[in-house]
Amino acid sequence: MTFSFSSSLLTSLIIGCLLSFIFIPHLKNGAAGLAFRLFAGAGLGIGVTSCVYFICLLAGLTRYVPAIDLVICLVLGLLCFVLSRRGLRKEPLQLSEIGTFSGFRVLLTVIFSIELIASLLSFAVAFLKEPHGKWDAWLIWNMHARFLFRSGEEWRSVFTGGLDWSHWDYPLLLPLSIVRSWNYMGGESRNVPALMGLLFTCLILGLLLCSLSLLRSRAHGYLAPMILMGTPFFIALGASQFADIPFAFFILATLVMLFFQRRSPGNHAGPLILAGIAAGLCAWTKNEGLLFVPIVTVCLAGTASYTGGWRQFFKQTGWFLAGALPVLLIVLYFKTRLSPANDLVAGFSLAAASAKLLDPGRYAEIARAFFITGISFTQGLIDVRMGMHLNPGAVNILLLVVYLLLTGIRIDEKDRVCLFQTAAVLLLMLAGYFFVYVMTPLDLNYHLMTSLNRLFLQLWPSAVFLFFMAAGLPEPASLAGGRPETASLQPQKGPGKGKNTVKQRR
Amino acid sequence: MRAFFAKYRAKAGWFLLICLTGYAVLNLLWQSVRLYPGLPEKDPVTLHEERIRQLESLLPASGEVGYATTVENDKIFAAEKAFQNVEYLAQYVLTQYTLAPVIVRNGPEFPLVVGNFLDGPPPPGFLEKNGLSPLRDFGDGLILYRRDRKK
Repeated sequence: MTFSFSSSLLTSLIIGCLLSFIFIPHLKNGAAGLAFRLFAGAGLGIGVTSCVYFICLLAGLTRYVPAIDLVICLVLGLLCFVLSRRGLRKEPLQLSEIGTFSGFRVLLTVIFSIELIASLLSFAVAFLKEPHGKWDAWLIWNMHARFLFRSGEEWRSVFTGGLDWSHWDYPLLLPLSIVRSWNYMGGESRNVPALMGLLFTCLILGLLLCSLSLLRSRAHGYLAPMILMGTPFFIALGASQFADIPFAFFILATLVMLFFQRRSPGNHAGPLILAGIAAGLCAWTKNEGLLFVPIVTVCLAGTASYTGGWRQFFKQTGWFLAGALPVLLIVLYFKTRLSPANDLVAGFSLAAASAKLLDPGRYAEIARAFFITGISFTQGLIDVRMGMHLNPGAVNILLLVVYLLLTGIRIDEKDRVCLFQTAAVLLLMLAGYFFVYVMTPLDLNYHLMTSLNRLFLQLWPSAVFLFFMAAGLPEPASLAGGRPETASLQPQKGPGKGKNTVKQRR
Repeated sequence: MRAFFAKYRAKAGWFLLICLTGYAVLNLLWQSVRLYPGLPEKDPVTLHEERIRQLESLLPASGEVGYATTVENDKIFAAEKAFQNVEYLAQYVLTQYTLAPVIVRNGPEFPLVVGNFLDGPPPPGFLEKNGLSPLRDFGDGLILYRRDRKK
């Protein structure tokens, strides 16, 4: 069983890594670059293989899934080999990471490792307490996995089964990833959904670490995941086996890829295609992804046209959508041919919507909830008996603001557009969530209490990433005698070019 | 003085962040360590599953069955929405979770009805009104009913 499960993950990992080699061939770098490929590739691979499984499900080929996965691995491997032979991997992009193995970095590594071990132990206890996950895990995600796996050829009937309370309109990335592993294993295992939760929790930490190590500095790379590990709700939600953590991963992956695209020579299209795939997978993970995809597309198109005119607008948006399109077609098929109506949309009427839009009381209630939750969401699920109340805990958004005030802002010129873009995406997502609450046909208080903190947590890893892309850092040299470290994906054409083009505001 | 702050404030930020994240991580670990000895041998979902799984031998491999519990069926979701009682809904959902792919309908109007009475007997007259007669009593509040076709 363990071998079969490992095989299912391994094929996903290989497919994801090969995609990263094909679309970001120029990431030369050593351990951090390889780790980036592993963390980003594993998540993308799981997403892509869940899409493949869905197609196999439609075609009645699920028994051949391992063989099909293997063929995909071979084809991508061959493509990778051909591209490398043609010299595409020899583009003059260098990832330089200059810096000594200073006492500062050793200290950070030790603290990071201790926090990681402590977080894994906390995750393990949460799993032992609730091995089937929390409420939504067995009401929605694991329930869907069971139905899809156990129904055999009759799997389509569950979507018309009338079990609306289980939200059969929710996308299938997570349930199908679980089903795919069960398929490899030849039977169900209670541990697979929990392992998926653990995997995506670790992938977010790893992706944050590697991307910030590559884009900023190793110290940033260690500090950012420490914020997430210090967020009790992040660990709890991972152990809860909800789809919010995989969704948070794909949001982060999309935004990270957009930064990589900006750092590549000649605005290479590869990272944009990967960003598109990751964005598409957002829509294949949760319905919130259907909001994320247009928002990120508009922000990308807006910044591309602002910085490079119409040509860049069409080019960048085109590559991004080319990556997203295959996954979006799957989502479209699912939404139009299988999924029942969403409960938020089903009760929609123009009269009710306009009445809600013109009700200032709703805006006030939602704004209050956003304020309280914005500060308190890191601490966990709301106790409905106590209602919403301020509970900031040790780690929250205010800590990041204070940190930014203390360390100052240091933005690489190359990242300026992407930082604006990422901030716009996150703010527009929050605005979108706000208006979903304004229009919700559900009881407003019930809807806010049961979902708002999860929505904030979905954006939290990306917000942390954004903060650390903008934050300055105490120079290791001044702390422990090491030399300053910088990281750049840009080829270094000469002294002072491609790196340290930094504007510092303090 | 200004130069002093300029020199140390960044380090203060770094120090603050490490201390607070460290505190939060260790605090969560401490809570987990305290929780661990008190963990039951089996979690509530597994216990409920083992209880409900006894029905499987008497149910069809697919199709639909009904459901009855301590309260009228329409109160199961209403109580949860009003934050009054989530237990009835949890028991219903876990019954469905266990018996999938058999669909468990939230109502008694089916030839076979799962009676799940963990929190007490059904409302007075409920079984008679719906023509439910016990097919098998598994104990611990779990009864499989057959519905009288005349009702």
